[in-house]
Amino acid sequence: MSSWLDYTINGLIVGNVYALVAVGLALIFGVSRLINFAQGSIYLVGAYIGWVAVVQLHTPLPLTIIVVAATAAVVGLIIERFGLRPLQNSVRIAPLLATIGISFVLDQLVMLTFSPNPRALPSQLPDVRFQLGGGTIGPLDLLIAGVGISSALLLFVFLRYSKLGWAVRAASQDRDAAMQMGVDVNRVNQAVFGIAAALGGVSGMLVGMYYNQIDTAMSLQATLKGVVAEVVGGAGNVPGAVIGSLLLGLVESYGVAVFGTSYRNLFAFLLLVVVLVLRPNGLFASARQAPPEPLTGTFIAPSRPVRIPRWVLAVAAAGFAVLPLFPVSFYVLQTLINAWLLGMLALSLTLVAGTMGQVSLGHAALLAIGAYTSALLSLTLNVPVGLAVIGGGLVSAALGTLLISPSFRLRGHYVSIATLAIGEIVSLVILNWESVTRGPIGISGIPPLSLFGYDLISPSSVYWFSLAVMVVLALLQGRLLTSHLGRSFRAIRDDDIAARAYGLSLNRYKSLAFIFGGFAAGVSGGIAAHLYSYINHETFNTQQSILALTVVILGGLGNVVGAIVGSVALVGLPEVFRIAAEYRILIYGIVLLLLVRFRPQGLLGTI
Amino acid sequence: MTTSAPEPLLALSGVNTFYGQAQVHFDLSITVARGHIVCLLGGNASGKSTTMKIILGLVKPRSGEVSFDGASLVGLSTPQIVRRGIASVPEARRLFADMSVRENILMGAFVRNDRDAVAQDLDRMLTLFPKLGQRLSQRAGSLSGGEQQMVAMARALMSRPRMIVMDEPTMGLSPLYVDRVLELIRTINQEGVSVFMVEQNASLALEIAHEAYVLQTGKIVLSGPARALKDDPRVRDAYLGGSEAA
Ligand SMILES: Nc1ncnc2c1ncn2[C@@H]1O[C@H](COP(=O)(O)OP(=O)(O)OP(=O)(O)O)[C@@H](O)[C@H]1O
Ligand SMILES: [Mg+2]
Repeated sequence: MSSWLDYTINGLIVGNVYALVAVGLALIFGVSRLINFAQGSIYLVGAYIGWVAVVQLHTPLPLTIIVVAATAAVVGLIIERFGLRPLQNSVRIAPLLATIGISFVLDQLVMLTFSPNPRALPSQLPDVRFQLGGGTIGPLDLLIAGVGISSALLLFVFLRYSKLGWAVRAASQDRDAAMQMGVDVNRVNQAVFGIAAALGGVSGMLVGMYYNQIDTAMSLQATLKGVVAEVVGGAGNVPGAVIGSLLLGLVESYGVAVFGTSYRNLFAFLLLVVVLVLRPNGLFASARQAPPEPLTGTFIAPSRPVRIPRWVLAVAAAGFAVLPLFPVSFYVLQTLINAWLLGMLALSLTLVAGTMGQVSLGHAALLAIGAYTSALLSLTLNVPVGLAVIGGGLVSAALGTLLISPSFRLRGHYVSIATLAIGEIVSLVILNWESVTRGPIGISGIPPLSLFGYDLISPSSVYWFSLAVMVVLALLQGRLLTSHLGRSFRAIRDDDIAARAYGLSLNRYKSLAFIFGGFAAGVSGGIAAHLYSYINHETFNTQQSILALTVVILGGLGNVVGAIVGSVALVGLPEVFRIAAEYRILIYGIVLLLLVRFRPQGLLGTI
Repeated sequence: MTTSAPEPLLALSGVNTFYGQAQVHFDLSITVARGHIVCLLGGNASGKSTTMKIILGLVKPRSGEVSFDGASLVGLSTPQIVRRGIASVPEARRLFADMSVRENILMGAFVRNDRDAVAQDLDRMLTLFPKLGQRLSQRAGSLSGGEQQMVAMARALMSRPRMIVMDEPTMGLSPLYVDRVLELIRTINQEGVSVFMVEQNASLALEIAHEAYVLQTGKIVLSGPARALKDDPRVRDAYLGGSEAA
């Protein structure tokens, strides 16, 4: 039977693993003020390189570690040189989005190379356990602790006694001043990415050995946990990241001990949200200044939107409306229905992220809330489906806004982290709240769409319905943008301090944006639930949040027409070119990277 | 208007600078003769700090030429420019707050590789700034403003520069500290280091400068030997005009 000591040991060991990820994130944040969302992908790469080394090359353990660290470091250097350095002078959101794109590309490459099926990664260590007080400890635990502690020591010596280490510290405290001392910031960035990647890669390998299993889902989890640990310790604070990691490991381990395994991540993200709200600069922020987050106005690429005459839009809408009257295949209609549903989500996100400047990475949670609400209303309370969908929109608007409201006082990157965490929390609550959501089993037998008693079963009726809903939402949002309210949204986005000085209440306006956005996304989720007839906690995941963000960037942040054009393009073009499903995410990642680099204002421009 | 010195150490000519759409410098030309102290005066937002950033390569001019010791600095990165022999005391000091005073001062010698000589120079700084001796292991962020100014100047000197550029070195200091800073600038200069300094406090700066320029909304409106400018009523006028416009 596991004792408390066992849970403590387990918490500290897992904490060590997180620390290897979080320290790298902290180094990178320190120097570049960037949350590196690709850190988990490097961890994934490390795990698979470890697998290749152990299983195929039969390397001894020390050599395995060296091979993994070196390969991961090279990947990190490549990311820095080709993914991020070209973006040095672009808007602040660009490198953030680039790391997201890079992470998609890396994860997919690993998946395509090794297949998505889990693999066993043997630890090469004898499987014995030593008694320690009331608990037990094994050689692998000792190895992980040893790697963690010696990495921390090496890093300390590097930062304290080497010239490059001094440069890293100086650059992370004041980049311009460091340059004026002759520090070459590019070299510092290289060093930091190399170190972060080496540590992250080794961490992935150790985790694979610890659980004797690796799979491609590890990547996002590692990024999330690393970010949690780093923010808890204070973004950019390296010793803080270590302590934050150990704390996170312990909180999770004790949480699991009390409530069970499926609650592990819930504790991690709740810890994050609590810290973000109460101590946004981390637990140890007393001596440090808040990392300066820029005003959102400099966070997003300014541009002049492309003006499209109304009659063109009207003709396009009419064209799409009469499409089902022609002999088009079911497949084409199906694809466009998906585009309209994604379009509603994109409308929501482009309002929140573009017009309001709150770059949300957890938008799929709004879909999930709408979908579950609508499904449950119609299934358990026999509410007519048309009303249930509207109910889904309303609940998503209310609940989504409520959940997101703690992050209203945050800016820039912190908004993205908070929304990501809130999105994860929603899906974990769905997973664990079995009495209402039916937990991991999901909800099946959801009735099909119907309107005034008529079931919408034929593809063309579903098509018309979703197109009509999307067009109505788009028209409303277009009105909103040109209204006084829309101007206030943009004023807050461009300079929240000035907007506040003019007497605009930030909380009220951010709430209004999320209410409208939550409604659109909730309706989209509701319709989807009735179309799919089965949903579970994974139906609406982070991949969709990121896909929506890519759509919004493609169309131009804040741009209503752009959101729809982007949806049609990203859903439709892969179909047109018959790109196999497993390559799509890869393509989306590449599209995001290319956009950020070459057309950050999107196709139609930001508004 | 240009000084008749032989070849200047630093020369800006015809510099035009923009932040986005907004033009900050209009055809700016400034020279610093070898061994001189040159002062750039001007009201708030006249473009003084931007001039420093142009020299250091932190901001790139849209057009114009910047040369140091006869070689162009245009297109060089900041670290490269620093290695040519230009050190800086930035606006508001900009120390590395979480590093110790010793580490801050030694960061100034980042471009040097002669360890022994660097150690000697550190000792020399402690004779020049005796108060810093007791504070070497203290966090730089916890020093008083005046002490921070001393650290910033010591840090700049540690690279053994040929020229130091300083942005408002007396800003926020008590009169006692102001006198000491000016005295130190004169001492540094007498040891052969040319100085280009930005100041708002015209009368004090003109005490120690050889030449001065007056900048008003991005244009040089007056320049000449400091002694001549000190008595020029237009210096005051330019000032009042500059600060009223801001
Ligand atoms: N990074 C920047 N982006 C946009 N505008 C800037 C930037 N830095 C300075 N400016 C603008 O350029 C103008 C000149 O600024 P600068 O800092 O050079 O003035 P200054 O003469 O040093 O003023 P002060 O005496 O207040 O320090 C100001 O209007 C300022 O708002
Ligand atoms: Mg200034």
